Formats: sequence, C-alpha cells, structure tokens
Amino acid sequence: MMDKEKIKFTDEELVARFQQGDERAYIELVKRYKDRLLNFVYRYLNSFEQSEDVVQDTLMKLYTSAHMYREIAKFSTWIFTIAANLAKSELRRLKRRRVVSIHTMGYDDSEYEIPSEDFDPEKETTSNYGEKQIQEAIDTLPDQFKTVIILREVQQLSYEEISQILGISIGTVKSRINRGRLRLQKLLKDLKVR
Amino acid sequence: MDCYSFDKVISDYIESNLSAKQKQEANEHLAQCPACSEKLADMSQLLGALRTLPRPVTRPDFESRLMARIERQKQQKESPFIHVFHEYSRVISVAAAVLLFVATSLFVYTSVVLPGSPASVPSASIRSVEPAAALPAAAAGVRPEQAGGVAEKTLPDTNRVQNPDYNSRIMMVNE
Ligand SMILES: [Zn+2]
Repeated sequence: MMDKEKIKFTDEELVARFQQGDERAYIELVKRYKDRLLNFVYRYLNSFEQSEDVVQDTLMKLYTSAHMYREIAKFSTWIFTIAANLAKSELRRLKRRRVVSIHTMGYDDSEYEIPSEDFDPEKETTSNYGEKQIQEAIDTLPDQFKTVIILREVQQLSYEEISQILGISIGTVKSRINRGRLRLQKLLKDLKVR
Repeated sequence: MDCYSFDKVISDYIESNLSAKQKQEANEHLAQCPACSEKLADMSQLLGALRTLPRPVTRPDFESRLMARIERQKQQKESPFIHVFHEYSRVISVAAAVLLFVATSLFVYTSVVLPGSPASVPSASIRSVEPAAALPAAAAGVRPEQAGGVAEKTLPDTNRVQNPDYNSRIMMVNE
C-alpha cells in the first residue's frame, strides 16, 4: 500500500508526513538521501568511515529537527546544508587529529578506511585523470572552492541549489565554480609534473 | 579577448551560457591561441572525470545502526534521571565512597579516639553524658571502662575491634 503510494510522494510531502508523526516517511527519506549525502561528504572528507558517521549525524538531525524545516526551501537543499555544516566541522576535527597523529605516531587514519563492496577508491576512471589524483587535488583546494566544486561537479546540483545550501549569491557561486575549476586543473597539472 | 578574459568565461563557454557576441569573441581567441584551446579541451575532460567518479554507498547495516541510535536517544529522553545517572555514575559512586569514608572516619574518631584524648574534653564529655542518658544499657557496659586513667590502656584494643569493621565497609564500597 505504502510502497505503491510512496513513489508519488515528493521529498517535501514526506517531511510533512514525518512532521505529523509518520515514521515510515522518515525511513523513506533516509533511503533516498543516505547515498547521495555520502557521495558528497566522502569527496569532501576523503575518509569512508568518517563520512558515514557524518551522514548518520545528518539523518539523526533530520529526525530530531524535522519540525524546523519550512517549505520555503527545497528539502534537498535543507538536508545538504546540514550535511555541509557537519562535514565542515568534522574536517576541522580530522585535520587537527591528523596533525597530532603524524607528529606523535607517524600514521594517518586513512589506514582505517573501509570502503563498501561496490566502491573501490583505487579504481581509475576512464579519462586521463585518475580518481586518486583527482581526490588529492580536491583535498588541497581551499574550502570555499572545494565545497562548490563537489556540489556542482560531483553532485551535479544547480547554481541555485548551491547558492541556497551555502547561503551565498548565485553570482558568487558562479565565480567560485569557475575559479575552483581552474585551480583544480592547475593542481592536477602540477601533480602530473611532480 | 585575451587569455585572462577567456579564463573568466571558460565555464560559461563550456555550459553555453555566453551571449552570441561573447561566444564569437571567445571563438576568435581560441582560433589563434593554442594554450587556451588546450586548456578548454583539458577542462572538458576533467569535468567529465569528476562527473564519473565512483560513488560510494553506505554499508548494508547503515539503516539499522541509525534506527538503533534513534531508539537509544528516545530512551534517554524518556528517562532523563537514568540518563544523568549513567553519565555521572562514576562521579556518584566516588562521591558516595568519599561520603561513607568521611562518615565512618568521623564515627571512629568521635567514638574511639576522642573519649581518650585529653585535648578534647568538651566532645568527650558530651559523648559520655548523652549516650548514657539515651542508651543506659550500652553506656553502662562500655563507657565506665574508657573513663578516666584506664582509657590509655583500653584504646588500642578498641581500635583493633573497630578497624576490621571499618575496612570491610570500605572494601564493599570499592567492589
Ligand atoms: Zn589564450
């Protein structure tokens, strides 16, 4: 009954149902968004384990703060805003810890990454650009470019959606994307030369 | 259009967001600038690579872990006292142990050490008078022995009797 119905529901209708106490609507939203959010957070943090945790925290927040959502914004931009903020503070925490662990123990926590079955970070993409190099270049992008590049190029969101998620004007989004692309290209060129 | 200006519009060029006039200017520049032509071709390839990066998926137990977390949080909200007790159980048990230790020490001190100590006459006199009034039987059995000059000899004995009890109480707290 619900299975046939739910195909018709928009995200916004599902949140409204959940706000009225329908937990199945929440589970449906989790199913729709968990991997989309993971894709974004993973490229941002470059750590599977921590990214999954951030997605869990994001969806926990959806559970506890769904009443805060107002239909003036698209649900997808609302949930991505939460994920982007959580990912940002997680990255700050990870950077601090990585610096500490490199200094004190000499290892990096990327050793603990457990990628899921269908996902192999070592796998090379079909173009001249390998995934590893691309990820390395993304990691070194300044945050203001990094977030827009991932939301646009990896997540394929529109300029308007990105502008809403980050709370910046469309003009700023456009110029950051353009500059971010050029920076990324330059970084990859430098990586190749090295 | 120069190379610098082309950089500014390269994304709009790729996404066909330029006006007819701008597009024509860009094409003219590309026709005579191999560097920008190469940059454009390379950029298109890079964007393609970004679009087709492998997509990670959450592990199969992701949802069950999430729901378990939600359940745990619900329970904590429903019983805030238990939550507080769990959070501070160590502090509470340490505080209880300290309190018991202080109370026991005080008891041992006032009932054993003070009566014999010559420096604390007021406490000793209270001890010897009040219990005698309240508990005549106990006072008749114990107090007369400890009173006066005999106290110094009976003190070590009483200590030995009192201490095992005191130690076992502390052990129970630690367990
Ligand atoms: Zn040029």
